[in-house]
This record gives sequence, C-alpha cells and structure tokens, in this order.
Amino acid sequence: MRYFLLLLPCLMLSSQTPLSAQTPAPAKKAVPAAAKPTPSVMLRNFKESGMANAPVQIEIYTDYECPACRDLYLTVLPSLNREYVNTGKVKLLHRDFPLQQHLYSKKATAYANAAGTIGKYDLVAQQIFQTQPEWAQSGNVDAVVAKVLAGADLEKVRGMAKGEVLDDSVAADVAMGEKDNLRQTPTIVIIAKGKREVISGGMPYSILKSYIDKKLAQ
Amino acid sequence: MRLNARHLVLVGRLAVAGILLYSGYSKLSEPWLQFEISLESFKILPESWLEPLARTVPWCEVALGAALLTGVFARWFSLIATLMLAVFMGAAAQAYYRGLQVDCGCFGSGGDPLGPKWFAEHGAMTLLALAVTVGAFMLARTRTPSGTSRASKVSSDATTQPEIA
Repeated sequence: MRYFLLLLPCLMLSSQTPLSAQTPAPAKKAVPAAAKPTPSVMLRNFKESGMANAPVQIEIYTDYECPACRDLYLTVLPSLNREYVNTGKVKLLHRDFPLQQHLYSKKATAYANAAGTIGKYDLVAQQIFQTQPEWAQSGNVDAVVAKVLAGADLEKVRGMAKGEVLDDSVAADVAMGEKDNLRQTPTIVIIAKGKREVISGGMPYSILKSYIDKKLAQ
Repeated sequence: MRLNARHLVLVGRLAVAGILLYSGYSKLSEPWLQFEISLESFKILPESWLEPLARTVPWCEVALGAALLTGVFARWFSLIATLMLAVFMGAAAQAYYRGLQVDCGCFGSGGDPLGPKWFAEHGAMTLLALAVTVGAFMLARTRTPSGTSRASKVSSDATTQPEIA
C-alpha cells in the first residue's frame, strides 16, 4: 500500500503535465492548415519575420523599457534571425507588452509601430533598444529615433506616434499576453506541433538554440 | 490526545513532503526550458549539466515528496531532502552575494527575487527539513527491539514526564 501511494503522485503528474504545459494557439497568427504556403512567401506584417510555414513559431513579448528585453533583443535575436528565421526554420513574431510601471514604454512602442507602417520597424526598434539607457531617463524617444530616420519618414512617424496612441496590434498583443498569463517581460512563446509553451525571462542564445533544435527534430 | 515527538516529526515530514510535491509539480507543469533558465541564472553549473538537471530535478522532488508522504525510509529521504534544500540555499547565497538577478524557479517561474524575504522563507523550509531529519533519526535510535519507540512508550504512559525524542 505504501509503495502504491509512493507511485500515485508520479502517475497523476505524468498524466497532467502535457495538458497544463500547453494553452490554445492564437487564432490570429495560426498558420492555416488548409492553405499550403509556399516557402517563398514572406510575411507582410512588420512584426513578423520568416516563412509562414516554418515548423516552429516563436513569439517574443517585450517592453521597450525593460533592460532584460533589451538584452534579449541585442544579444539573442541577431543569432536567432541569422540561423533560424532567415533559413525558414522559425517564424518570429514580436509582441508588444508595455508595462504600467515603465513611464516611457508606451511612447517607445508608438514610435516603433509607427515606423513599422512605413517599413522601418527593424531599424527603429533596434535604435530604441540600443539607446534604452538614454531615453529611459529623459523620456526623449523622439531624439533617438531622429538619429536613424530621414526628414520625411521622421515626420510621418512623429505624426503617427503623436499622443502615444497605440495601434490595435498592441491591444491584441496585450490581450494575448494576458491569455498567456504573462508575468514578466521578456517572455518567449515557442509553438511547435500545435503546442504553445510559454517561457518567462531572458536566456542565453545557446540554451534557446538547443531547445529549438530539439523542437525541429521532433 | 497529547502531542509527542512522533507526532511532531510526522507533521513536519508531511509539511516537507507537501513542499517538495508542490515544488516538483510547479516545475513539471511548465516546459523544462523554464527551469533550465532558472538553473542557468545561478551561473555555477556547466551548460552541459543544465538540461539533464532541469529534466530530472523536478521528478526527484516529486519522488522525494511521495516517499516522505508515505513514510518509506523516511529518515533517509528527509536527509536527502535536507541536503537538496541546503544545496539550493548555498547556490542562492552565492548568487545573491554576486548580485545576480536570479529567478530560482523553486515553485515555477515568477517567484520572489532573491532577498531577505526569499532567504527567510527558504531558510525556514530547510530548517524544517533538518528538524524532521534529526527527529526521525532520534526516533529510530530510541526504537526498541519489539518495534515500538521509547518515545511513543513514554507518551502512552500515564506519567507526565516530559517527552524527549
């Protein structure tokens, strides 16, 4: 009887773990099963990159004012893009999750997404993260964006980012984050074979790489 | 019914079992990568150890918790639990000393950061496990050849002598 009791929790856990580890994949970004996207079809949404039919999808929730997000963006993402996204193995989706406690995060998000609508998302997002220690003190996001955008583009972005009104994609990202029980930024969601795994916190690229390789080998 | 040393050890043992089961379950309900990240944040283990440990430690916790719950080899398993908790405390202490940002992942992700509150809580758990271990060994030492412990004999006795396990 004692030995049976010893095994009972293990049996219960082994039956529960796979279920609790997954949450429903978002309908918004799911690759339609019926449609067969060709490998040459690149995604059009400025927050997405990679092939639509990549076997693994990674969603990254970030806040522009969060230092760990900056670290992830500047140290992990370049290698991830080079080795997995550009090679069609991974589809990457940025999700915005501006945190309440960060004073200028909304402003930075507004600038980055406004830049996205004129095709300059990567450039501006990179600049915003790169100069985070600078504008996180002063709140002058405009000054750092002005260093990488030309006159006409800058005016367009300024116009759209005016009033820090966030676009619908941010509201959708925040809603998805709440559904994912987001507890911190950055948070990485890895979707493979329909399983949605939410991983909180930053990580070294080598660890993420090893995990992605295992997902790709499945 | 009067509380004696045996009862105290039993209650302590069940509490430690509950902590370990919950801890293991919390980790197993998340992808193992989550605990691997937590282990990595301590910056003391070689990278090649992280994945094997992230995959096995939660199961060890569940097994230890289950063993303590059932009472099978209780004193030895409580000794292992104490050592495991002490190792975690040592790792956390060095990380805190080095000023590392660590999410220990003890009960899944998103726990308290290392600090006085964290050390007070986890120190209490480690001390509880230690007390259970000491108590369990002392009870075993006082066991008579007939299988009943001296402590329980004392408690069943009508005399009001203080009970020492």
